[in-house]
Amino acid sequence: MKLSERWLREWVNPPVDATSWAAKLNMAGLECEAEPLHEKLPRGVVVARILSAQPHPQADRLRVCEVDAGTGTPLQIVCGAANARAGILVPAALPGAELPGGLRIEQAKLRGVDSSGMLCSASELALADKSEGLLELDASAVPGTPIETHLALADQLLNLELTPNRGDCLSIAGVARETAALYGLQACSPAIEPATVSSEACVALSIEDDKGCPHYVGRVIADIQPDARTPDWMRERLRRSGIRAIHPVVDITNYVMIELGQPMHGFDLARLNGGIRVRRARAGETLKLLNEETVTLSPDDLLIADASGPLVLAGIMGGEGSGVTAATTSIFLESACFDAVSIAHSGRRHKLLSDSRYRNERGVDPALQRRALERATALVLQICGGQPGPVVEAGAAVERGPAIRLRSAQVARLLGHTLDNADIETLLGRLDIALQREADGVWTAHAPSWRPDLRIEADLVEEIGRLYGYERIPPRRYAAALPGFAVTESTLPTAPLAQRLLGRGYQEIITYSFVDPALQAKLDPEARTIRLDNPIAETMAVMRSSLWPGLVATWIHNRQRQQPRARLFETGAVYALNTDGTVHETQRLGGLLAGSAFPEQWGARPVRNFDFFDARGDLEAIDASWHCIAAPHPALHPGQSARLYRGTVPIGWLGALHPRLAASMDLVESVLLFEIDMAALRDRAAPRGEAVPEVPSSRRDLAIVVSEQVPAQALLDVVRACGGPYLASAVIFDVYRGSGVPAGHKSVALGLIFQHASRTLNVAEVDQAVTEIAAGVNTQLGGSLRG
Amino acid sequence: MSTDLESLQTQALAEIESASDPRAIEQLRVDLLGKKGRVTELLKQLGGMAPDARKAFGERVNLAKEALSAALSSRARTLEDAALDARIAAETVDVTLAGRGERCGALHPVTRTIRRIEAIFASMGFETVEGPEIEDDWHNFQALNIPESHPARAMQDTFYALDGSRLLRTHTSPVQIRTMEKYRDSGRQPPIRIICPGRVYRVDFDRTHSPMFHQVEGLYIAENVGLADLKHDLQRFLTLFFEREAEALFRPSYFPFVEPGADVHMKWSAPGQPERWLELLGCGIVHPNVLEAVDIDPERYSGYAFGMGVERLAMLRYGVDDLRLFFNNDLRFLEQFA
Repeated sequence: MKLSERWLREWVNPPVDATSWAAKLNMAGLECEAEPLHEKLPRGVVVARILSAQPHPQADRLRVCEVDAGTGTPLQIVCGAANARAGILVPAALPGAELPGGLRIEQAKLRGVDSSGMLCSASELALADKSEGLLELDASAVPGTPIETHLALADQLLNLELTPNRGDCLSIAGVARETAALYGLQACSPAIEPATVSSEACVALSIEDDKGCPHYVGRVIADIQPDARTPDWMRERLRRSGIRAIHPVVDITNYVMIELGQPMHGFDLARLNGGIRVRRARAGETLKLLNEETVTLSPDDLLIADASGPLVLAGIMGGEGSGVTAATTSIFLESACFDAVSIAHSGRRHKLLSDSRYRNERGVDPALQRRALERATALVLQICGGQPGPVVEAGAAVERGPAIRLRSAQVARLLGHTLDNADIETLLGRLDIALQREADGVWTAHAPSWRPDLRIEADLVEEIGRLYGYERIPPRRYAAALPGFAVTESTLPTAPLAQRLLGRGYQEIITYSFVDPALQAKLDPEARTIRLDNPIAETMAVMRSSLWPGLVATWIHNRQRQQPRARLFETGAVYALNTDGTVHETQRLGGLLAGSAFPEQWGARPVRNFDFFDARGDLEAIDASWHCIAAPHPALHPGQSARLYRGTVPIGWLGALHPRLAASMDLVESVLLFEIDMAALRDRAAPRGEAVPEVPSSRRDLAIVVSEQVPAQALLDVVRACGGPYLASAVIFDVYRGSGVPAGHKSVALGLIFQHASRTLNVAEVDQAVTEIAAGVNTQLGGSLRG
Repeated sequence: MSTDLESLQTQALAEIESASDPRAIEQLRVDLLGKKGRVTELLKQLGGMAPDARKAFGERVNLAKEALSAALSSRARTLEDAALDARIAAETVDVTLAGRGERCGALHPVTRTIRRIEAIFASMGFETVEGPEIEDDWHNFQALNIPESHPARAMQDTFYALDGSRLLRTHTSPVQIRTMEKYRDSGRQPPIRIICPGRVYRVDFDRTHSPMFHQVEGLYIAENVGLADLKHDLQRFLTLFFEREAEALFRPSYFPFVEPGADVHMKWSAPGQPERWLELLGCGIVHPNVLEAVDIDPERYSGYAFGMGVERLAMLRYGVDDLRLFFNNDLRFLEQFA
């Protein structure tokens, strides 16, 4: 909201410039900036009266005007505007003038006719973005007056960006009140007296929902002049708040809204059928609004209606059929207080924005209605004439807020700073908060009607702190002892796990939690996904059920930017629906490897792409307490897909992206993916440091031929089970297929280490263990020692 | 007899000197000093000698053996040294060639910033807690004193799911509520001192807004916590975070879940730009309605809460001027944080 500084200064005049004023409001919690109304004012432009306008002898569209620009002798100015006609007052840029856009005006000849300047439109003076014809001024304007004087253009704007609790400051009166409190001044206001009633014209009034509308006043003003014109001073003030002049009655209601903060409405009396009713809408009723939109109403909507039906969506927007027009001769003015919640509801449901809704949903002063009505009446009489009728009223004004107990001890506690009781009284007094002393440092307070946001003690504490100045409250170092919190080892936080991946060359990424449903369906087709009701785009429409869509999309993005390889990981939540409809949110760690297995470098390594075992090795580096079982996953290569288990609990997946899927995404290089539950990774025992034997161990290497169907893990399990008490470790160091090994079989080379805790094992003991292993492998897996 | 020995010794010494590798030395050792070696053979002549001559000859042969043995060892050492020198000469590498293997990756700058925030607040006694991102209306709004139709709801455009029954949390504040509920349900009493980092969501997508971003919420409830404590703690945080004395400005502001409320601005000068006040975070004294919603007696306990945008802090700290860089995940951008 923008307000004219000059207008504000008529109400309160702090001894500082606009910039400091804005800074003061800022520090009191009203976000505010001062900005110039115009970067550049016109120079040499004056009020001029057109004395005559004759057709140009050489050009149909041009007119030769004789004007009185206050220079003593009439000037001849050639003009192309359609509305140039004798009698009107317009701005004239005289030779030597400079317009805000930089245009300089000189004595000229237009199509052979002398022209001593230029008559101006509003846009040429930077008073409007676009405009048609000459800017017509008040009939009472004095020729020769500089236009910047006539329109009071030397002005600044205070641009306020208010928080929703400060609806009371959405007006000149409100900002003046706040300013007065901050500077310890008195704000003044124009005298507002009840109009002398000169007509008996009246509209019957009934409120059928007094919660939705606690107070409504209105009056008829008969016999207004339909050709009245909104004066320049009012047009200018409205323009400074971003409101265009439309019709004197509409302009006056807008003016009073900006000035006092009361949204009002003017009806054309002739278009009303019977009395005014404030009621809830009936389901299915429709109303065509001023913005030409037709809304379908529900019983949640509050209406102003007459015998024929809905007239106005109360407090939000007028209807097309009942407003004032150029033909209006009698009006009914409405000034009402509506329930803020109800307005917010309707406004949001119908997605209607208006100055009226903006104020009403923030709460309008419930004691302001009659004052605003009288102010508007006086302005109508002044500008349009007419005969005011008696004020009709329903409901009642509320003058003061509810009682709030205020204790100075609570002020000191919540601010962390002690203020004198006298200071508290003074500060609250400046805000018109009525205080009644109950005991030493205890008061009963009543906020003024315009501060519905002040309801509880803490609200008053904020007012005290705000006026006192947050900057004056010294920081206090907290001294009380707090219990330490647990730093666990048995549940690891994410950080050390991530650190291990960083050390292996992984880059962490953060991707959106909502992903493309098409991509997710490819990578996690079985998930019960959660779709957003109002996604930003279809490609961000479902909550991710897996980290893979984000990882794969990130790889594609980087690949398109010539990156040859990547190790990526992300940690974060994935989301799915349980069968009972509840939401299941799990923290996961996901990773992707793609492209060449090593960075481009010189040296001996063979150039190859990442494979399953690179990924598996990385996973083993962060945690080795799980095992793999071959299992199919719809997104993974059928021969390179493993489910990870910890004990019997499945904790994740590891594998190569399915070649068909890869092809569908134009990925030619290998892509390895893994995903694992964070909870499973975090849960681990603290390590135990046991003594290690000092005596030497014995090593035997065995080559065992088994069927291709026997997984390495099964072989190791048998070896370990049969290896006796001294088998300390068994490791596979080669897998061979080819000459010497029957087709469909493989030769697995095992390195076995035998170790006794306190003595050297003898050969017979080791031989015995090897024999047991060979026998076990043979009977359980059909394997044999290779000669 | 002696002439034989002398000429043998002379010849043997010459052979040793010309031996060119360890194998030849070993061959010579066998050839001369072995059981059937040429020197050993000479000893066989001892049998036909007179006792005196035998003794004298025996001593000379032994001396010759020692001399040859020493010559063999010396030559062997010389050859070893030369071989090692040659190997060393051959093993010279170009130290300016790059090292082999994989470089370390980097944390995402947002994670890196959250870690720093966590570490700083941990040093001030704040424990990190987390909460769900798909929330209900109670935790995200109502318990935070934002009833239905509160105009503040329009400040935060919300993503909804499951026909409006669930929403994506618009701030990390619901974790406050969940933590206090947990205290209540387990019969624990304040003090509570937590921060809650995490993802938050708002329907807003342009150059300066991301529909998903990160916040860190802070909550401190104890007896007699006031604005002065909040000022101290946040000032200290900002000083530690930016590693310089932070000039912070506390300006009254409005958030429904605090009263009094404030936003915090910090004096900031970017290179080539005039110094200005930057809004960094919102904070305030926890609203009594919030405490009552979780059955904490506001007459006994008071507290402060704050919420800060992680991306904003990361942008300032690392000189990032476009929010979108954080979520494009371009490796060339991310690798700068290694």
